[in-house]
Amino acid sequence: MLKEALDGQITVVCNPVAGSVQFQVEPVGRWFEAYLKRRTRNVSASFQELEDEKELSEESEDEELQLEEFPMLKTLDPKDWKNQDHYAVLGLAHLRYKATQKQIKAAHKAMVLKHHPDKRKAAGEQIVEGDNDYFTCITKACEILSDPVKRRAFDSVDPTFDNAVPSKSEGKENFFDVFAPVFERNSRWTSKKHVPKLGNMSSSFEDVDAFYSFWYNFDSWREFSYLDEEEKEKAECRDERRWIEKQNRAARAQRKKEEMNRIRTLVDTAYSCDPRIKKFKDDEKARKEAEKKAKADAKRKEHEERERIKQAELEAERLRKEKEEEEAKQAALQARKEKEVQKKAIKKERQKLRTICKNWSYFSENESESVKMMEEVEKLCDRLELTSLQTLNEVLASSTKEESKAAVEKQIQEVNAQLQKEKEEAEAKARQLSKSSEQMNAGAGIGGKGWNEDDLQLLIKAVNLFPAGTNARWEVIANYMNLHSTSGIKRNAKDVINKAKNLQKLDPHQKDEINKKAFEKFKKEHNAVPQNVDNAVPSERFDAASADAAPWTTEEQKLLEQALKTFPVNTPERWEKIAEAVPSRSKKDCMKRYKELVEMVKAKKAAQEQVTAKSKK
Amino acid sequence: MAAIGVHLGYTCACVAVFKDGRADVVANDSGDRVTPAVVAFREKEKIVGLTAKQGRIRNATNTVVKVKQILGRSCNDPHAQKHTAESKCPVVNADEMAKYEIDTGDDIKLVSPEEVAKLIFNKMKETAQSALGSDVNDAVITVPFEFGVEQKNALRHAAEAAGFNVLRLIHEPSAALLAYGIAQDTPSGKSHALVYKLGGTSLSVTLIEVNSGIYRVLATQTDDSIGGECFTEALAQHLASEFQRSFKHDIRGNPRAMMKLMNSAETAKHSLSTLGSSNCFVDSLYDGMDFDCNVSRARFELLCSSLFNKSIQPVVSLLEQVGFSMGDISKVVLCGGSARIPKLQQMIRDLFPDVELLNSIPPDEVIPVGAAIEAGILLGKDSSTLDDETLTVECCASDITVKEVNDSGADIYTVLLPSGTPLPARRHHTLHCPGTGSSVCLELYQSVQNNCATEAKKVAQIILKDLVKKEENHDILAVLTMKRDGSLHVTCTEATTGKSEAVTIEVAS
Repeated sequence: MLKEALDGQITVVCNPVAGSVQFQVEPVGRWFEAYLKRRTRNVSASFQELEDEKELSEESEDEELQLEEFPMLKTLDPKDWKNQDHYAVLGLAHLRYKATQKQIKAAHKAMVLKHHPDKRKAAGEQIVEGDNDYFTCITKACEILSDPVKRRAFDSVDPTFDNAVPSKSEGKENFFDVFAPVFERNSRWTSKKHVPKLGNMSSSFEDVDAFYSFWYNFDSWREFSYLDEEEKEKAECRDERRWIEKQNRAARAQRKKEEMNRIRTLVDTAYSCDPRIKKFKDDEKARKEAEKKAKADAKRKEHEERERIKQAELEAERLRKEKEEEEAKQAALQARKEKEVQKKAIKKERQKLRTICKNWSYFSENESESVKMMEEVEKLCDRLELTSLQTLNEVLASSTKEESKAAVEKQIQEVNAQLQKEKEEAEAKARQLSKSSEQMNAGAGIGGKGWNEDDLQLLIKAVNLFPAGTNARWEVIANYMNLHSTSGIKRNAKDVINKAKNLQKLDPHQKDEINKKAFEKFKKEHNAVPQNVDNAVPSERFDAASADAAPWTTEEQKLLEQALKTFPVNTPERWEKIAEAVPSRSKKDCMKRYKELVEMVKAKKAAQEQVTAKSKK
Repeated sequence: MAAIGVHLGYTCACVAVFKDGRADVVANDSGDRVTPAVVAFREKEKIVGLTAKQGRIRNATNTVVKVKQILGRSCNDPHAQKHTAESKCPVVNADEMAKYEIDTGDDIKLVSPEEVAKLIFNKMKETAQSALGSDVNDAVITVPFEFGVEQKNALRHAAEAAGFNVLRLIHEPSAALLAYGIAQDTPSGKSHALVYKLGGTSLSVTLIEVNSGIYRVLATQTDDSIGGECFTEALAQHLASEFQRSFKHDIRGNPRAMMKLMNSAETAKHSLSTLGSSNCFVDSLYDGMDFDCNVSRARFELLCSSLFNKSIQPVVSLLEQVGFSMGDISKVVLCGGSARIPKLQQMIRDLFPDVELLNSIPPDEVIPVGAAIEAGILLGKDSSTLDDETLTVECCASDITVKEVNDSGADIYTVLLPSGTPLPARRHHTLHCPGTGSSVCLELYQSVQNNCATEAKKVAQIILKDLVKKEENHDILAVLTMKRDGSLHVTCTEATTGKSEAVTIEVAS
């Protein structure tokens, strides 16, 4: 409940209020949205009045609408409506195609209020009867402008629109000033939003590109149905209507084509005149050239670099070679010098020895003795080294005749002893050589039937293959020999026994030698004819021989046989398992041994069969 | 026209759609209205939701949970580090960005948290679109109030990557208020609302001033250490000790068994919100032994009593912080799944005896519903983007009051224009004065904060004279209009005679 005012109290403001403060709020809810909307529109009102206000503001917009009275309005002939400017009739000449539907409606309303025949009649004006009154123009204008299709048709042929396209010469000088307004006004025909601007000299390539691609793909809504010569509605029958339609369509298409041509010409002209396009092209060209140049430069540089490195390498190589040569030369020179010095020295010493000996008249009076001594001294000179010569000379120089004679004789003795020894050694060597060759011949000639290395090898093999205890062993061996021998000599059991015994007598060293010789021979043959079928046999033999290097002990043999039995042929990874069972042998060894055994057994069987067959005969 | 509101929480995600003027939560393909925010990476597929959560027992290292904790944070952030330490899925630091290391059998992939969030959003989008039957993408996403710019951006990018057209990001507490439509129908007036959100891993209490339909957060408190999982954990520990008592096995050291037990405890906890007792049953929990245990609601409340006290405590401290009493709060909104717990609701009711407790919408659906409503409001607005400037609003600095006398003759001050009213604002008030007098005096005061004590400063008086005396009271229509700068225009009109007086009070320079 408010109080009653006291006397003398008046309406007054006594204190200012505190200013507003800023708070951060949560962006949720419809009232926040409403607040935001009001703020962007910058209208102040309380929330409750929001809706009213909306209407109010719209009304005020209408009030703002300025209608320009068309001075010729009253003189218009409604029959000639096609050539009238409907915007001007409604007083919207300043807005034209930008006028909103609301504005058109409002303008029509205002015009009707003012120009309706009834109103004018009331004002005492003379009215032309029928449709001939100019008010019909207003109705027609509203009819056309409020229908979007008809309005579009009218807008398309807006008489105030400047269809002109600037010529090239115009555009060349002042491109932006000339073309900007042209594109600006043509952009009203686009059916797309966001028309790119022509821009200026500093526009980026993308912008310019976007601009031209927009205009080259220009999608215009402009159409020319307004200019149709005939009216479809006037037709009396269907056929006539169809004909009219056809005519109109052709005319419209023609006009549309012309319009597209116009735009195309405009864009072409602009494109050809655009200084930016030229600039971009130049830039692109320059860039490409620069790129090309850079590439060429890089290539050249690389090439040069490579050349340089190659040169440097060559130079280094050459220097090194030169140096080496130089060094070698130096070394050779040095060596020659040294040699010469040594030679000289030795010559000198020899000379000295000779003169000393001569001085001493070769330590004898006797002519023949002195000759012999001379020979001996000459021998000394030849044989002795530089140092021993020097020492000898020193001794000779510092001693008496007897002493020196003794020294010389001692030297001579030594030299003679040495010579003797050398001679003996040489003789021993020669003897040994002859002896060994003799032995060789002797070994080969045993048994009178020419046992060559192959046969010997074969024999050894056979003896090993058929150990003592084999049934009719020597026959079997002989047979085996005859079967496998390459020499073609037939041997009987006796021969074989003799030879084997002979061999047993030979010391193991010699046996080895035979083996080695056999191997070398085989190798030579093998190298010479590697693809020979016959050699398959010796190669196996060789393998066996090399495997024999670590012979199979009976223990191992037993283990292997046991393993072979326990793991039958179809056991997966049979040889691995067998190798495991025989711990001292590898898988390869086992396999090899197995092959050998198989071969042995086969050979044994074959030989036995032959023997049995012979005995049957 | 339809729109979507999405809430992506630490543990769960929920989606609501706005259609035909209504916002409703939609159930996902397995029929649940809330989808666990868990993403499991398998060799060939990525699974979101309940299946992923249940499969976590077997696939813990390739299952991402609580991705929101690390989303948009750098590796050095303490929150992110805490998450890294807790996550069963290894988190690695790749180019200063935290990423999950996912082992998909043949190779190890790095997956960013944004990508995980994207998968969840994708699932939400599919859920909403299948319910709507159309490919609507417009959505409002909720974010916690304490999220920073980077986290918001990360969330927005994740949502956009999932194909959403994000209309706006709004804060969870304001979404909760919007879900109940607070001050949306009658916008004038000022009130305070408290939003109590107890989610899976965090508790947040927010005090919001509602003025003229616009929400403003006055204060907020967040406690990351308490949430629904704590209750589950407490219950699971109890169950583990029960198991130990009967089977003499301690399963606390066995992570897989504990995970099973946690899942079972969670189900039991949920049913305890509606039932008096719940049966907890786990087949072959440990060493082939089945576990069966009955938990009563009283037992559960006893187990969690200290946790409940801890959950309530922030409310008291928040009110203390802003100097409000319980009576200043007019509404309390409950949200977050754990706010369903009857004991908690009871405790809040005890704390605010005269206050309306809003829990008619299921608490875990409040926020997405609010988001969907906001999406509905924003739908069709051409520019819903906001910059920072639009979020600040000029407001009335202090209350504008008029001095009146009450029936007993004492002076009272009636608030005509409350502080915090967004400007510009216009308020209509009808005041009365005894019809026996021929004049009336309106004395306008502005309350001024002066060393904590509020004292009224007289700013103007308006006198209406020569009123016609009559039997009934004079009705005085007072219209107060305050402009954005804070200057006040007051018009007083006597209803019958139309006599009026107007003053304009300028702003102190």
